[in-house]
Amino acid sequence: MPLDTSTYALAHLRLDGRRWNELRRLHAQISTQAAADGSSYLEQGNTKVLCTVSGPQEQKGGRGGARDQGNEAKVDVEMNIAAFSGMDRKRRARSDKRVQEMQVTIASAFQSTLFTHLFPHSTITVTLHILSQDGSLLAACLNAATLALIDAGIPMSDYISSVTVASAPSSDQSLDEMDPLLDLNGLEEQELPFMTVGTCGRGPGGGEEKVMVLVMETKVQMARLEAMLSVGIDGCKQVRGILDGVVRSHGKRVLESKVS
Amino acid sequence: MAITILPPAPAHENAKAYHGDSSDNDMDIDDLPSGHRSTTTNIITPGQTVTSDPQWMRGHGTFADTDSAAIRSTLAGTLQKTNKLLSIVPLRARYTPEIGDLVIGRIVEVQSRRWKVDVAAPLLANLLLSSINLPGGVLRKRTSVDELNIRAFFGEGELLVAEVQSLFQDGSASLHTRSLRYGKLRNGYFMSVAGMGGGAGVVRAKRQIFTVQTRSGGEVDVLLGVNGFIWIAKHVAEKEDVGINRMEEKVGESMYSSQNDEIEGGTRREVAAIAGGIRILVAGGVKVEEGTVRRAYEAGLELDERERDGEMMDSERGSAVVEMVLAGG
Repeated sequence: MPLDTSTYALAHLRLDGRRWNELRRLHAQISTQAAADGSSYLEQGNTKVLCTVSGPQEQKGGRGGARDQGNEAKVDVEMNIAAFSGMDRKRRARSDKRVQEMQVTIASAFQSTLFTHLFPHSTITVTLHILSQDGSLLAACLNAATLALIDAGIPMSDYISSVTVASAPSSDQSLDEMDPLLDLNGLEEQELPFMTVGTCGRGPGGGEEKVMVLVMETKVQMARLEAMLSVGIDGCKQVRGILDGVVRSHGKRVLESKVS
Repeated sequence: MAITILPPAPAHENAKAYHGDSSDNDMDIDDLPSGHRSTTTNIITPGQTVTSDPQWMRGHGTFADTDSAAIRSTLAGTLQKTNKLLSIVPLRARYTPEIGDLVIGRIVEVQSRRWKVDVAAPLLANLLLSSINLPGGVLRKRTSVDELNIRAFFGEGELLVAEVQSLFQDGSASLHTRSLRYGKLRNGYFMSVAGMGGGAGVVRAKRQIFTVQTRSGGEVDVLLGVNGFIWIAKHVAEKEDVGINRMEEKVGESMYSSQNDEIEGGTRREVAAIAGGIRILVAGGVKVEEGTVRRAYEAGLELDERERDGEMMDSERGSAVVEMVLAGG
């Protein structure tokens, strides 16, 4: 289904009634699974992700006690996209290139944010179960993984928060410009060139702000990139605030119920 | 692994999202009492600046950027001050071994002179052949025959209770079982709860091993491993006057047996009752130690008597037990 650009132009609204810089409802929970070291459940619009973290732990049952010689922990990401998560039912192979790329992207982002040197010879396994997909899949996975890693008590320099941004035809038809759009849903993602931005840190007073993840699979004019990136970084800050709120309210609940 | 999805919580909690949380910066660190017991109730999250005052030293759970003196947190937890040292106590984390901890572990690997033991820590612990009691005398030297028969002492998957003897450079533990209290575990029930490292769970206490006199099942031993592993087993009466000279016989006959004895129904029920009590404590956020475990068991008995006819809902029963435990302490 093509985007209904006529209504968008008239009301300055997107298909789902949002403005260009609005996020979808972001809802998250921490410590959803008692058996895991850390776990989280995150909904970004209709994209729903369940994340569990196990570790840091030494890999057991390796070939004849072959020990990981590295001086820092390895981050392993396993992604499992449920067959029922998309519009049409299809089972993704484990060797799916897109899935593998996302796994590598997430792993390398956390490898540099987590304080892996504190856990030599061990592995941190992040398992992501995608229960429902409606755009911004990589962004939702990064956010869910951040929460689960915080729940697991693994030291990190800052939250990694992530959103998608797109470049859409301007609402003002007379100008030959493009408007950036924040946090895409599934339909917008099919229609528009977009990229996923993930940042760490929050600028002045809170340490250096760094772009940790930048993934783009579509083509866009070079001139539009800067506007997209700045909107994306601003969106990441908003997401970081929401995630921070989730962690704080969870922490408060834990402290209240903790009796000694 | 059981998957539980909690019912959705209202979204408005998240609405008050981003204030740049500068109000939390430079909080009343000076007013915070020093010491291990006291922490603030203020939650600190990763990346948050704890203080930019250079007089403080940074401890666990904190870091500083290369170009500034500001101390920032790496964990979600509460602030703890020890004199001038600031550290963050995480809300939840994996167990980290310390010397002298009583731990319960499971053998995962047998190597030529050592065992690798899973103690729920980031790294597997080592148990050297030279740090166990060999049958036939405590002071006997280990021989190559012992090395060949290493599986006769502990095999893969077997449980044991041990003490952390030393720590290696990378933080992994070396265990020993050189006491009659330590060794292989049998005739009992294993459970795993959160260990030391924030949150409810087993805490370091004076006594980690104790015996509960149960109503209908005789005496039951409870072993609380600091790493969160718990063993509940039928009490084995110790033989009287076991001198140092007769120790070898005792070590020889039963220490490394993997054969469980016949346990009668009454004891099994009591073991299950104690385990249920511990589960309620953990769910209720109460620390697990000798006193609370005993009180939880007694509270369970009392409730059984009171509710002889009607079945109580699990959650009601749980909160009733937690209340009684806290009232008793």
